[in-house]
Amino acid sequence: MNPLILTIILMTVFLGTMIVMASSHWLMIWIGFEMNLLAIIPILMKKYNPRAMEASTKYFLTQATASMLLMMAIIINLMHSGQWTITKVFNPTASIIMTLALAMKLGLTPFHFWVPEVTQGISLTSGLILLTWQKLAPMSILYQISPSINLNILLTMAVLSILVGGWGGLNQTQLRKIMAYSSIAHMGWMAAILVYNPTLTMLNMLIYIMMTLTMFMLFIHSSSTTTLSLSHTWNKAPLITTLILITLLSMGGLPPLSGFMPKWMIIQELTKNSSIILPTLMAIMALLNLYFYMRLTYSTSLTMFPSTNNMKMKWQFETKQITLLPPLIIASSLLLPLTPMLSILD
Amino acid sequence: MLKIIIPTIMLMPLTWLSKKNMIWINTTTYSLLISLISLSLLNQPNNNSLNFSLMFFSDPLSAPLLVLTTWLLPLMLMASQHHLSKEPLIRKKLYITMLAMLQTFLIMTFTATELISFYILFEATLVPTLIIITRWGNQTERLNAGLYFLFYTLAGSLPLLVALISIQNLTGSLNFLLIQYWNQALPDSWSNIFLWLACMMAFMVKMPLYGLHLWLPKAHVEAPIAGSMVLAAILLKLGGYGMLRITMMLNPQTNFMAYPFLMLSLWGMIMTSSICLRQTDLKSLIAYSSVSHMALVIVAVLIQTPWSYMGATALMIAHGLTSSMLFCLANSNYERTHSRTMILARGLQTLLPLMAAWWLLASLTNLALPPSINLIGELFVVMSSFSWSNITIILMGANITITALYSLYMLITTQRGKYTHHINSIKPSFTRENALMALHMTPLLLLSLNPKIILGFTY
Repeated sequence: MNPLILTIILMTVFLGTMIVMASSHWLMIWIGFEMNLLAIIPILMKKYNPRAMEASTKYFLTQATASMLLMMAIIINLMHSGQWTITKVFNPTASIIMTLALAMKLGLTPFHFWVPEVTQGISLTSGLILLTWQKLAPMSILYQISPSINLNILLTMAVLSILVGGWGGLNQTQLRKIMAYSSIAHMGWMAAILVYNPTLTMLNMLIYIMMTLTMFMLFIHSSSTTTLSLSHTWNKAPLITTLILITLLSMGGLPPLSGFMPKWMIIQELTKNSSIILPTLMAIMALLNLYFYMRLTYSTSLTMFPSTNNMKMKWQFETKQITLLPPLIIASSLLLPLTPMLSILD
Repeated sequence: MLKIIIPTIMLMPLTWLSKKNMIWINTTTYSLLISLISLSLLNQPNNNSLNFSLMFFSDPLSAPLLVLTTWLLPLMLMASQHHLSKEPLIRKKLYITMLAMLQTFLIMTFTATELISFYILFEATLVPTLIIITRWGNQTERLNAGLYFLFYTLAGSLPLLVALISIQNLTGSLNFLLIQYWNQALPDSWSNIFLWLACMMAFMVKMPLYGLHLWLPKAHVEAPIAGSMVLAAILLKLGGYGMLRITMMLNPQTNFMAYPFLMLSLWGMIMTSSICLRQTDLKSLIAYSSVSHMALVIVAVLIQTPWSYMGATALMIAHGLTSSMLFCLANSNYERTHSRTMILARGLQTLLPLMAAWWLLASLTNLALPPSINLIGELFVVMSSFSWSNITIILMGANITITALYSLYMLITTQRGKYTHHINSIKPSFTRENALMALHMTPLLLLSLNPKIILGFTY
């Protein structure tokens, strides 16, 4: 794509999310969402093949529906409270509809069906933007309306998302679909704690974005989109296999890596609010996620996967530059000892 | 405590910066020096713990385990030299880094005051062990073994996390030094029953309890020698240590909640001992023998009498040294014949007589011959379980008999009789191997002179 056009489109995506996060008028938020959606469609369609077009169409339809539901919730809120300012939503119906709309945007169950298919159809870089940047805007709105969200609906969606994210990823070998199901599960964790302590939602979002960024960067570096092609990295760049191992274990939530921190904090907050069965259930279901991450590490780092002989020769291509990979690796694996710093958020 | 932790952490830069011909020398020497530092902790002047800081403490229970941990690292390094000799230098350094990382986590686990810190480090020991088993094991089954190991332990320990956090909400602090004085009886209710289960299941899986032991034969057999050593000697004892610490908070539920686990352990020790009689795989025999000994420890911990605690602690230390030594001996067989089948390498006494002496000593301590500390441990457990219920003496007596049977079976099969014709060209014993066995046996024999050190905090 022409670099100037690409810059303008990416700026529009960025601006859309910024408008959503910074506005105090509900209409501006809707405008921000629409701007974001319209500008990301060409990004998703960067590779001009029918699969990408199908993915972009699915994405557009679901997100547009969600925006319309959001608009309806805004109008109902306007009718009952007479104001356009963002505070908590004053009417339970409007609150429910808004929660469902934002869940559709995020990819929470039962609105998760678009996430694997859209992520699979687009290139790795577009998938990166889809799974990290696009989650910021809906999550910021959920954060702002969190005092008025119906707890039952949100918790049901959260637990079902963790289940679906765990179980759905079990049969996948395509890396983008694995990352999509991982995204669904992590969104479930974030939604579960939203009502009790929204700050932890933001912490989980931060650490999730860092880990997903790291994973996608490593996939882009090895140009691999399937488990099989990822398993050839031990020939070409052995250090990448170690980094993939560390990041995947961190995504699975294993101590002492930093992926454990959000899970620990979320379990702590949920327990403080006298729900014991729910965090136990969520923690056990996160083990499903860990299973397919472990399978990925088995084929990539912990075994020298059999490969044909021509895979073993090193071609001298120019080395790709991975932006900011070392800080991302540190952030996605070594932040656990900094957990006491979270007390500054009180 | 930092005087032990920081040198252990610094073992990692030491390996990466060492030259090719110095890595084994450097790491073994420095880890031996670190084990000398930890010996000073055995000086426990009174029944209170030695508190080094708000985060680290050592008491008569954790000090012997800590010394065992630090003693075992140089032994693991010595044992791994042969099978890593053909690997590229970076992979050797990675292996040693994994061992040093595991050592750091283990030291911090045994000395942690805060129970959540104990939990995080307890889980953290899983990652290097998993990498050692899966990356450096020898057979295809190691993948399955790693998965079983990881998921059994995690599924047991996630409820422990929730339980610890809810206890912290109820009592305000999980600092072990405070809790031992704040202890109140746990009220009788369904949710406290689940709390008891949540707290104990993690350690039951780790010990392992008889019904949940499926991960252990897989993991022990498929791991390389250092992995087997650290698994048998230390990681199982993490379960015992955790149980000893956490049962303090869980009275009086333990009086009735312990019955199913006592039944499983009492029956399980007979079952696993009997399976040992029918094993063809040498490492598998030693693995099942570990389950059987640990079942005794579970019985001792759940009975909760002073003598049984003494027996549990002594048995943990004794079994750690004995089991690790048996794995080293099995590995010396494996390195020569590349097979774990017992009968393929029999009659070794004629070929390797000094190694036969070590086999004899290891088998004798495994069957708890007086006056070794194995006997002290087992005897105390048998006596205290007899006082708890008279009938258990039948099961305990049967277990001791069957333990003797399979230990002698292992000794006779591998050492006595005519050697097979295909092993008369094996290499003689290396000095490294003999040193390894001596370093295992010497603490075991010396401790029988003063077992007071390892009898734990109820002495």
